Amino acid sequence: MSRRILYIDPLDCTGCRNCEIACSYIKEGLMNPQKSRIRVVREGATYDSPVVCRQCDNAPCASVCPVEAIEKKGRIWVVNAQKCIGCALCVQECPFGAIWLHQDKGIAIKCDQCGNCVRHCPTGKLRFVDPEELAREKVAKGLEGQAEAKEEG
Amino acid sequence: MFFRYKAYAGRIARIDLTSGKVTKEPLDTKMAENFIGGEGFISKILWDEVGPETDPFGPENRLVFAVGPLSGTGWPVACRFEIGAKSPLTEAYGDTSCCGYWGPELKFAGYDAIIIQGKSDKPAYLWINDEEIKIMDAKNVWGKSTSETEEIIRKEVNDPKAQVASCGLAGENLVRYAGVINMRRAAARSGMGAVMGSKNLKAVAVRGTKDVKTESTKEFVKLMDEVIEIYKKDFYILDRIKFGTPILVELMNEIARWPVKNFQTGVFPYAKEIGGEKIRNEYRIKDRGGFGCWATCEKPVLVKNPPYAGTYAKQPEYETLSALGARLYIRNLDAIIHANELCDEYGMDTISTGGTIAWAMECYENGILTKKDTDGLDLTWGNHEAMLALIPKIAKREGFGDLLAEGSFRAAQKIGKGSEKFVMTVKKMEIAAQDGRAQKSMGLAHAVASRGADHLKAFPLVDELGREEPIKARFGDKYLPEMAQPLSPKYKAFEIKDGEELCALCDSLSLCKSSGTCLPLSTGQIYFVDMAKVVELATGMKLTGEDIRKAGERVVNIQRAFNIREGLAKKDDALPERFTKTPAPEGADKGHVVELDKMLEEYYELRGWDPKTGLIRKKTLEDLGLGYVADELKRLGKLPTEA
Repeated sequence: MSRRILYIDPLDCTGCRNCEIACSYIKEGLMNPQKSRIRVVREGATYDSPVVCRQCDNAPCASVCPVEAIEKKGRIWVVNAQKCIGCALCVQECPFGAIWLHQDKGIAIKCDQCGNCVRHCPTGKLRFVDPEELAREKVAKGLEGQAEAKEEG
Repeated sequence: MFFRYKAYAGRIARIDLTSGKVTKEPLDTKMAENFIGGEGFISKILWDEVGPETDPFGPENRLVFAVGPLSGTGWPVACRFEIGAKSPLTEAYGDTSCCGYWGPELKFAGYDAIIIQGKSDKPAYLWINDEEIKIMDAKNVWGKSTSETEEIIRKEVNDPKAQVASCGLAGENLVRYAGVINMRRAAARSGMGAVMGSKNLKAVAVRGTKDVKTESTKEFVKLMDEVIEIYKKDFYILDRIKFGTPILVELMNEIARWPVKNFQTGVFPYAKEIGGEKIRNEYRIKDRGGFGCWATCEKPVLVKNPPYAGTYAKQPEYETLSALGARLYIRNLDAIIHANELCDEYGMDTISTGGTIAWAMECYENGILTKKDTDGLDLTWGNHEAMLALIPKIAKREGFGDLLAEGSFRAAQKIGKGSEKFVMTVKKMEIAAQDGRAQKSMGLAHAVASRGADHLKAFPLVDELGREEPIKARFGDKYLPEMAQPLSPKYKAFEIKDGEELCALCDSLSLCKSSGTCLPLSTGQIYFVDMAKVVELATGMKLTGEDIRKAGERVVNIQRAFNIREGLAKKDDALPERFTKTPAPEGADKGHVVELDKMLEEYYELRGWDPKTGLIRKKTLEDLGLGYVADELKRLGKLPTEA
């Protein structure tokens, strides 16, 4: 089964945090961005982007977990809440800051690709994409840019 | 902490900057039921605590930041917060509203409102971090621009997620129309930035990590999804997403409703050069929105050519394109974008800034002001360089800027010589970008708005473009076709009364008016009955549509009572003669004036206010449960004498 990442171009992301809202409600039944599994970062004049688990093949969070609480279910890494001891080693090792501890329960939480955020993104641009497909899109975009540069040339 | 109704934090914090004392008070259940939140809370607190003896710049003035029950619930476009105080511009009831992230963050920190009183003996800012509320030394941010202030404070409190609402140099220097800025969004009107400055308060930073729970979560989320589906299909929202408010430039120019040359005419021949289409095609980089936003009005732009080349974090809104564009006959879009940025960095309301400069330009046109008065600046219509030179001068109160920092009304009082007739204000506040001659309902809205000339207290949109569907959806056929006709004064008193109550609720619930609530969605949603349902699902408060409309009416009336106590009366519900006596010279409204007296009389009658004096009848107040307000007005001799 191929891998999917949750992706939106920072120029498409509006920073509205509807993904955080959708996530908080479906996972917690209340509103608290701290408890969302997706968090939006806004930087400077134009950058907005969600921080979210990338489902790494060779996941540092899973490798480092001393109690093997981060388990692969199908193609998705999920946290086994029964096993997790809240040591935060995964938080320490994730290169993206995409896993954190639930502030009340003290156990690790992260995206399990349930897709509620995708359904609630106002732009419709937040999506699951196969990295291979994304690469192809980027190549096409790059070629387009080169062609434009040539025309203007 | 237990509060009877969900979605509220159930708590108000009070900070005395003089003594440094911080207290946390439980929210009064009755206050939540009667005044809902946000602007409603502000109105009640100001009525209770601020009187005619209060100097807007004095330590006894209260500065209230407040959110409503929907703030922090994730409800679509419930991203706003309100700031209120006695206004240094109008010396009457003042409030202002802003979108972004700050409001929800306050709720997540566990407060429905914060009341700031007193005056710090040295520059300070507030740091609200969940339970902890600290008065911090502002020495590193005093004198800094609003964006620098945000950046420095986030570092000082060591939290990149802290939301900072700050005043700029204009607020520090008590410019009477200084605003408060958070993340490039402005709580612009009424001079709340200057009230901050008068208290030596540079900023309020807030960070919260608490839950916001709703009463009937499943149904609430279901309704949320239904409303989102409506938004996705509504052409107004789609227009907002595509253009934001600048597309109104083209639309309003078409109906001649624009404030060209200080409202001399409603048509700007160069509208396309500063309009929504041009910004979208040549400047827009992307779309941005506040917490839970579906409309994304804010659009970062890129100016490509010198001398103003650079990336700007937002496009100017319609009001700014009007105030710093058409109102000054300026057609250089690059310069307007740059001027907008300057106003944000200095923390100034673009509407009053443009309105005051427009007054100066008209005085210059008529020889009342000359280069001797203007520090050598050539204030000819359309001179964008003069505008750009004036903005920092105003913020710093330098030279001629010191006069303009007082606003056009006071500036004209000071210099006289007939300059008074070029003052386009109501209650000393500069009129926003709607010429009432082209849309009669707007004329009435400006005249009666509690905070002074303003379109957002009633936001009469249902007749703006002459569309009948939203009117039909809300009221049936009985007001058609006249209510849908912008040039007809008929039924406009009713439209304004209804709109004021709806808008008071938006500002009390923390809802954005521009994206969904007041827009004439083809279905007529979201109207009182929808609001009551949302509030009930969120809070558990049992309300009918009529109950919640009445809460809006209560808010409108207590603000009116505040202004009456300050000495305002019917004479202050007036428009400049340009709107009531000078017929519009060209365009769709050629030959029209605002028939204000007629609409006003009808409006007072609908409101239960005395048509002769504009005072509120005792029975009106009592029916709204405001008997205590009636008692105080009676004591002051400010109830109408019953016939």
